Amino acid sequence: MSSLERRCRRLLRAYPAWYRRGRGEEMLDTLLEASPPGRRWPSFRDTRALMIGGLRVRGWTWLLSMLWVAAGAVITGYIFYNTTKPWEPDLGIPGWSTDPLAVQIAVVLALAALVALPVPALIAGFIRLRGWRRGNWLRAAAWASAWIAGVALYALAIAWGEYPLHSCPNMPQTTVPPQCPYGSPAVVSWGELAIYPAWLVLGAVMTWILARPARRWYVPDLTSRASQDASRWPPGAGDLQA
Amino acid sequence: MREPTYFVLASLLDGPLHGYAIIQRTAQLSGGRVRLATGTLYTALDRLTAEGHVELVREEIVNGRARRSYGLTPPGAGALRAEASRMAEAARLVTDHGRGLKEVRGARKASPA
Repeated sequence: MSSLERRCRRLLRAYPAWYRRGRGEEMLDTLLEASPPGRRWPSFRDTRALMIGGLRVRGWTWLLSMLWVAAGAVITGYIFYNTTKPWEPDLGIPGWSTDPLAVQIAVVLALAALVALPVPALIAGFIRLRGWRRGNWLRAAAWASAWIAGVALYALAIAWGEYPLHSCPNMPQTTVPPQCPYGSPAVVSWGELAIYPAWLVLGAVMTWILARPARRWYVPDLTSRASQDASRWPPGAGDLQA
Repeated sequence: MREPTYFVLASLLDGPLHGYAIIQRTAQLSGGRVRLATGTLYTALDRLTAEGHVELVREEIVNGRARRSYGLTPPGAGALRAEASRMAEAARLVTDHGRGLKEVRGARKASPA
């Protein structure tokens, strides 16, 4: 396998697996044939077109779901980051105001995306799936169950993160009732940290559920049709006449 | 109909072609103006196949890989013809008014700079 072929194969991973199964080898053949001899890398034009084509095939559902998963990843990272910080009693919102502005903006955007994206993702999924057939209801139920399970896990994580009365480590108990402040290492338990990756896995499952092939004809598995249709060529003479 | 789509359909007028041949023929027909990238071509073929304008007519294995040839369907030929007629109509709006164009040129020359 040449280096060009290996790179083209890697590039084709922009398309989902179900699409590559039907089209991958054919597209690779065209890519290699269209490349001048001696070339080792696919051209910029081909790379850009394949990335855009892959996104088109994957659809809005995949994009929205991946944004949702990415938002979860940002928040997970932020929580890990918070566990490494000492509590700072002089700030109004401990753990927030000492962060760089870019971090604060990223976390706020990620939180907004995490809350807001599931509904448009579900709507995009149903637009993609073209209707309310039985199979789609099952997918929607599975997706909604995954989302509810994720929220439940998050609630459980918060419960695990709450420390017993007067037991917050390294801080005075001045509030009534005594609470560990947000951003304090005391609030983030290892249980919560374990929950977040689980949530991201759920996000990946949700993406998989709704980003399946939208329409059967999209998959160019037309081998059996080819021989039947060959007799229909050329098109009727009337179609080409003035 | 967008220009690349028009030329992809036009490239199939003489018979079925496979992916790379469509790219070559499209560039040739458009005088090098439309140079399709592979991803763009297959996006167009997916759409045209779904719309019934293009169909798979032959599949063979070359160098261990699938090579598929696509042909124009009767609805595809009809759509291509309709688009060609529309463009010819639009072109006639200008070409049939040669006298008007001459008057515009004459008026420009006569007008002060």
